[in-house]
Amino acid sequence: MTRVIIIDDEEDIRIVLKEIFVREGFDVAVASDGAEGLNLIRETGADLVITDIIMPGSDGVETAYDIRMEFPKTKIIVMSGGGNTGPLEYEPTAIATNAYLASAEAVGADLTITKPFNRQELIKAVRELTEQ
Amino acid sequence: MAGALKSISARMVLAVLLIHAVLLPLLSYGMLTLVHNVQEETFIDHVRIYSRVFADQMQSGGQLANEDRIIEALDSSILGGRCVHAAFELDGRRLLSSMMDKEDGDKFEEDFSFGEHGDNVYYLSTPLVVGNSMALLELGFDEVPTLLAMASARTTILTIVLIYLLVTVALAMALSTLVSSPLQRLRHDSHKIASGDYTRQMSVDSEIVEIKELTSDLEHMRSTLVGINARLEGEIASREAAEEERRKAETHLRHMHRLQSIGTMAGGVAHEFNNVLLPILLYTDLALEDLPEDSPTRPNLERVLRLANRAKGLSEQILTFSRPSSEAMTVHADIAPILDEAMSMVRALIPANIEIRIGIQRPLGPLACDTNEVQQLMVNLCSNAYKALLKGDGGIRVVADNFEVDPEFAAQHPRLEVGRYVRLTVADDGEGMDSVTIERIFDPFFSTREVGQGTGLGLSVVHGIVTKHEGEIVVASEVGVGTTIDVYFPHAKLDKERPSK
Repeated sequence: MTRVIIIDDEEDIRIVLKEIFVREGFDVAVASDGAEGLNLIRETGADLVITDIIMPGSDGVETAYDIRMEFPKTKIIVMSGGGNTGPLEYEPTAIATNAYLASAEAVGADLTITKPFNRQELIKAVRELTEQ
Repeated sequence: MAGALKSISARMVLAVLLIHAVLLPLLSYGMLTLVHNVQEETFIDHVRIYSRVFADQMQSGGQLANEDRIIEALDSSILGGRCVHAAFELDGRRLLSSMMDKEDGDKFEEDFSFGEHGDNVYYLSTPLVVGNSMALLELGFDEVPTLLAMASARTTILTIVLIYLLVTVALAMALSTLVSSPLQRLRHDSHKIASGDYTRQMSVDSEIVEIKELTSDLEHMRSTLVGINARLEGEIASREAAEEERRKAETHLRHMHRLQSIGTMAGGVAHEFNNVLLPILLYTDLALEDLPEDSPTRPNLERVLRLANRAKGLSEQILTFSRPSSEAMTVHADIAPILDEAMSMVRALIPANIEIRIGIQRPLGPLACDTNEVQQLMVNLCSNAYKALLKGDGGIRVVADNFEVDPEFAAQHPRLEVGRYVRLTVADDGEGMDSVTIERIFDPFFSTREVGQGTGLGLSVVHGIVTKHEGEIVVASEVGVGTTIDVYFPHAKLDKERPSK
């Protein structure tokens, strides 16, 4: 059974994503930050990790990097909120978001996906990655 | 009048007149006296000589022999025209010429100067010896011819003096004109300069050295003034231009900052919004899956899902505005076909009774762009133009051409550089906008329309697309006349044009 680990600081998102993956027949575990997620993979292993990009503690890019270093075969999807939660500055924050996504890909994420997405888009992307 | 008296001509004539008023009477008086004296002396000498000679002739001619001969001689002197009075006195006896009245003849009184007694007769007695006794010849000479000659001489002298006076006054006037007419022209030229006509060169044709020098000095002043003036005007113009440029750049910067901060905020809001929207979408989907096919709740949940998807679309539009980064853009050698496609979409969206005139230059480009975004931009601009028409009649004009930005145009639009651009123009003759509205049209959710008649995102999406393509938007609008929006996209640099790095 394909094992999926979901990392997001928002509980609502963790729960709904877990439910979706369970219904699709995946073995699912959730973590609320990068460190917790990494520990889960070390304990039980994972075929796919789906992580939010902006989180307290280690963010999605660091998490993706750590996972890629330790578990080269695990597929990684990084989700972005599309905007920025940082302070208001003159630099359009989407630059930061895009830079985040680009750096996530650079450190080894297999796919970046922008919130909000619908169920079909997510499942399609995950199936493509896991059935490779 | 007082002014006229102060002119050079008047002063010179006045001076001549003043000098002559002193000199001429003296001169005339002197000359008249001289002439008078000469005439008088000549007359007196003449009558004395005549009397003496007459007396001598009487004595030597033997005419003293008897009284008849004496009277005959006296008569001859009067008949000769020289005398008006002739008498002879011998031994107490008076003999008178028969040519004169008795009474007149008694009135004898010797003159010693011309014009004495006021009777116009000059009396003179000449003594002569007759035998052993003394006789006296009394002759009276007419003074009138001499007086007439004197009057004539006086008239001549006065006439000459008058002519002399007139000639000198005329000369003074001519001389003063010689000086004052070039001065008048100088004054005229200076007046022109004083009233702002600096370009007129000062040249006065005069032989007079002082005027020549004055003219050349004034001309020097004028040319210096023209130089200074031109420099000052240039400085003022360049300062004004610099000020204008600074003001434009400032306005532009302020506008950019505002849009950027709005973008930042919109991005932040969108992020939070998306984090909320995502579970809504997914939970609704899951809930729908769990519901029996015939559940009465299904249509409601389907509605929630549809609305959540619409919110997703909105969020994507907001992010288009706040995301100026360049994502993958393809270079198109000619974007005319892309615009054709966009315009056919526009035509389908806008009612057929609205006239849309389209002019697209071919080939248009090359342009590095996101095809979908350029099409969306055209659709948004046209739909905005159409909405401006809703309150009145009119049409939409769409023009797309290659445009050369020259230094002057670049100076007016800080975001444009000198070079080739694709210009997309969408113009309507709709309601137009005031400057306050123009300032805000690119703000997300800014709409001039009633609530519910549009999201107010159309032009902010246009702005996001233009920024991403490093282009520029120029809005010109007048209330009641219409709005023209020009979008400039820089031509793509082809490899052969790009300098090697």
